[in-house]
Amino acid sequence: MAVAKTPRRPAPLRILTAVPICDGHDSAVTTINLELARHGIEIIYLGYHQAVEAIARAAVQEDVNAVGLSSYNGGHIVFFREVVAALRRGGNGDIPVFGGGGGTITRADERAMRRQGTDRIFFAGTPLEEIVAAIRGYSRPARPNPRFRGDRVLARALTIAESGGRVPAVKRTGPGRSFVVGIAGPGGAGKSTLIDELTSRFLRHQPAGRIAILANDPSHPGSGGAILGDRVSAIYAQDDRVFFRSLATRGSLTGLSAAAPAAIELLRRSGEFDLILVESVGVGQESDPFRSFGGGQPLVDATLFVLAPHYGGLIQLQKIALLNGADYVALNKCDHPLAKVAKAEIQARLDQNGRDQRLHATTAAKHFDPGVDALFSALAQRADLAPAAGGERPCRLEVTP
Amino acid sequence: MSQLGKIADAVGTYNRFVAAEVDRARADAAYAAELRARWAGIRSAVGTTQSPSGTPLPRLALPDTDEPGAIAEYLLGQGLPGEFPYATAAYREMYLDTAARTGEEPMRLFAGLGLAEDTNARFKYLSRHQRSLRLSTAFDGPTLYGLDSDHAGVLGKIGEGGVAIDTVEDMGRLFAGFDLTRPDASVSMTMNAPAPVILAMFIAAAKRRFGPDRVASLRGTIQADMLKEVQAQNEVIFPVDASLRFLCDMVEWCVPNLPRWYPISISGYHIAEAGATPVQQAAFTLSNGFTYAGLLRDRGASVNQFGPRLSFFLDCGLDVEYLVLGRVCRRIWAIGMRDVFGADAKAQVLKLHTQTSGRSLIAAEFQNNLTRTAVELMLAYVNYTNSCHSNSADEPFTTPTERYALLASHGQSILLEESGLFRHTMNLFGGAPGLLALERQVESAILGVFREMDTLGGVIAAMEQRYQRSKIQESGHRLETQIYSGERPIIGLNKYVSHEPLPHVPLARTSPSKQRLQVERLRAFKRKHAKRAPDALQRLENVTRAGGNVFGELVTTVETCSLGQITACLTGVVGQFRPMV
Repeated sequence: MAVAKTPRRPAPLRILTAVPICDGHDSAVTTINLELARHGIEIIYLGYHQAVEAIARAAVQEDVNAVGLSSYNGGHIVFFREVVAALRRGGNGDIPVFGGGGGTITRADERAMRRQGTDRIFFAGTPLEEIVAAIRGYSRPARPNPRFRGDRVLARALTIAESGGRVPAVKRTGPGRSFVVGIAGPGGAGKSTLIDELTSRFLRHQPAGRIAILANDPSHPGSGGAILGDRVSAIYAQDDRVFFRSLATRGSLTGLSAAAPAAIELLRRSGEFDLILVESVGVGQESDPFRSFGGGQPLVDATLFVLAPHYGGLIQLQKIALLNGADYVALNKCDHPLAKVAKAEIQARLDQNGRDQRLHATTAAKHFDPGVDALFSALAQRADLAPAAGGERPCRLEVTP
Repeated sequence: MSQLGKIADAVGTYNRFVAAEVDRARADAAYAAELRARWAGIRSAVGTTQSPSGTPLPRLALPDTDEPGAIAEYLLGQGLPGEFPYATAAYREMYLDTAARTGEEPMRLFAGLGLAEDTNARFKYLSRHQRSLRLSTAFDGPTLYGLDSDHAGVLGKIGEGGVAIDTVEDMGRLFAGFDLTRPDASVSMTMNAPAPVILAMFIAAAKRRFGPDRVASLRGTIQADMLKEVQAQNEVIFPVDASLRFLCDMVEWCVPNLPRWYPISISGYHIAEAGATPVQQAAFTLSNGFTYAGLLRDRGASVNQFGPRLSFFLDCGLDVEYLVLGRVCRRIWAIGMRDVFGADAKAQVLKLHTQTSGRSLIAAEFQNNLTRTAVELMLAYVNYTNSCHSNSADEPFTTPTERYALLASHGQSILLEESGLFRHTMNLFGGAPGLLALERQVESAILGVFREMDTLGGVIAAMEQRYQRSKIQESGHRLETQIYSGERPIIGLNKYVSHEPLPHVPLARTSPSKQRLQVERLRAFKRKHAKRAPDALQRLENVTRAGGNVFGELVTTVETCSLGQITACLTGVVGQFRPMV
């Protein structure tokens, strides 16, 4: 199948922001995130208490223009140096690192940090306009780079797809046949949490496999900027076997970025991933984002519709188009008092369809939820994921994100 | 309606009761006579004193009135110091020259830097002039996140912003040379997610040092406020339900075994530092407090037993609301505890620690921070805080250096011991018209936030919907915008700017050789206990899975296991916290 071309428009800058490990001071970074998004920049926010490797991994997979670190409880000289070193080690030294820390980073520290590869430190009192202008300077053309290795090659191809350029051919690096699941549902249903819990099951059941996640989030309609925050709560994505990419919708109203078809195709063709999960923005009644592209050809191999018990009663339920089309339905937040009634209502609604649609009751926010186990098993069976020889292996989860 | 709605209702009901009593005092001659007689008794019991220049003064300032309505209004609406609803003060006499002789001292100086012996030296330096022993501990980032100093990527953070504690041996070094079982000794620890582990280490170290029999005499506070961590400060390790369980286990263990210990300090400080308004700080802190009280009650604990062991911690900045925040909080807490929880008098009293605002301190012309802190201290003490920490002027740059830590401590001494504002007369400011007007406004705004959270299903449900976080972020963003626009004047930053270059301030940093020493000590501890640690961890895992009291087991586990080993074990059982944006 030909990779669909997406319309050309000026591509926003993509900046990864994070707070270093053992630091929870996120007040400054959340303000900066908001302001940068208001100036048309796409922020991929990784969160606080982030390890060096997690920052470098996210910077590569998201193919960002730069990494911004906000540090308030010391140790910044060592930490910034290690982030720069981790990027360089993977051949990604082209991604500049900047940051700030109010008064905690002194002028002398700044000189040392710049010598060790940090691009720029913003001091307390720097006017916002100056910060925005400096960050705009990180703009660069989206072109393939023959020096890139590993995930960065794929990440750059996705950037090119997003910016509407001619999508490069990506070398097939893995042997795999990918199974793609489209996941949709209203905002607040717990899609991101459910996806993260499915990821943990995948890592445990597929000791050698890789999983990709495409998380679509809305752009701000006025400024064109966005805060893409799905990585914050994706605690199991902190693993090299997970390829996580945040896509801003950039004006597309379908529930997916206009580049999503090309992105899915790129991920499939790479052969790297056994499972690809595509998360739509919060949608429900109006349409099915995964069947609205490519002249009726489905974008994905299966669809999962996620909803929470407070959907507003039977009449609302009747209107949800996705309940007709979805292959799997998850009623999430089943610890909610309304869950029992909701389950019966949804089951009745699915019975009307007369298709083989299985309803799964999940509580993704609860760790080790058996409902999520059952949902994963069903998806794994459909995707033909066989447990590798040697059985289960615990996922490589660190104590800290 | 959630518990929070009931509390908001109870405060409204109480306010209507006061208004009705005022009317009755004015209409009912017998009641009026009874009030007048009581008032005359109260006034005649107030002792007198005089200022150094010879002005005679009452020991307690009371409204100068004989009108029965006003008397009822004061006694029921504000309360005498140490009497319901405690708006004036938690205790009858505080700060007065005479009180100083009894050994109670409000000053606490928060310290923590480098390795245990460095903080120990700082404690010795700061406590030289203290009338009683008050040690307040700040921990470094890895300790706050429950990680060992040899965890990948944390080397540069060891001993930064606080002291590095990995093992019970570090804890022993931290308090070496201090007799913590002295009646006037009190130790405070700013520690949250790993609080049960750290308190267990403290107990284990005290057992080694003073003998198991004297552990019960330990006095102090550990912060352990996980709700505010999820809402604002972000030092969370375990999922919320598990975090709360570990916390309640600790409180339940402490009530009988450490009777002088405050096992939880319900904190608004970090909520305010993250950007909340004073009203939001008070509303979220009080509602968190009521949530803990509800959780403990639902586990079967007696409110009259755990109630007196709860304490509070508020930020004090320069905004006008801070003039009354402590007073309003004491009043709401007392009414809620009495009328919704049925608590007795001792469990109704909100005991308050205050810290001046770190966020209000700025790098530009940083010596102005001395003045900012002095004004904040004044606001804190007007609220009759039970204890107080004053920040050092150099904090925008560094963990306080000795020089500025001492100046911060002397600021408190100047206010309480040198100036006459608090030495002679209790309640010198209470009852002023401006204060009363502010109290009414602030109280009603706090109850408004309670009602909003009530419609969301209460504190924990609101938290799951990110209510507190979005409110705090929104306020923080507005504050920054106001600073950028100049609507909030900050001298030296957006007004009267001198453009003088940042000064060369000496920094308190931990050297790489010390950081390596900490890692070596930890590894030696792990080697020493390599044989016993796996069994200890297995027992901890079993108790955790079986639903037993985790804290009771931790007191033993810490003898052979490090903080990071214990964190990893517990995470394996209960999972990991999923952060919210």
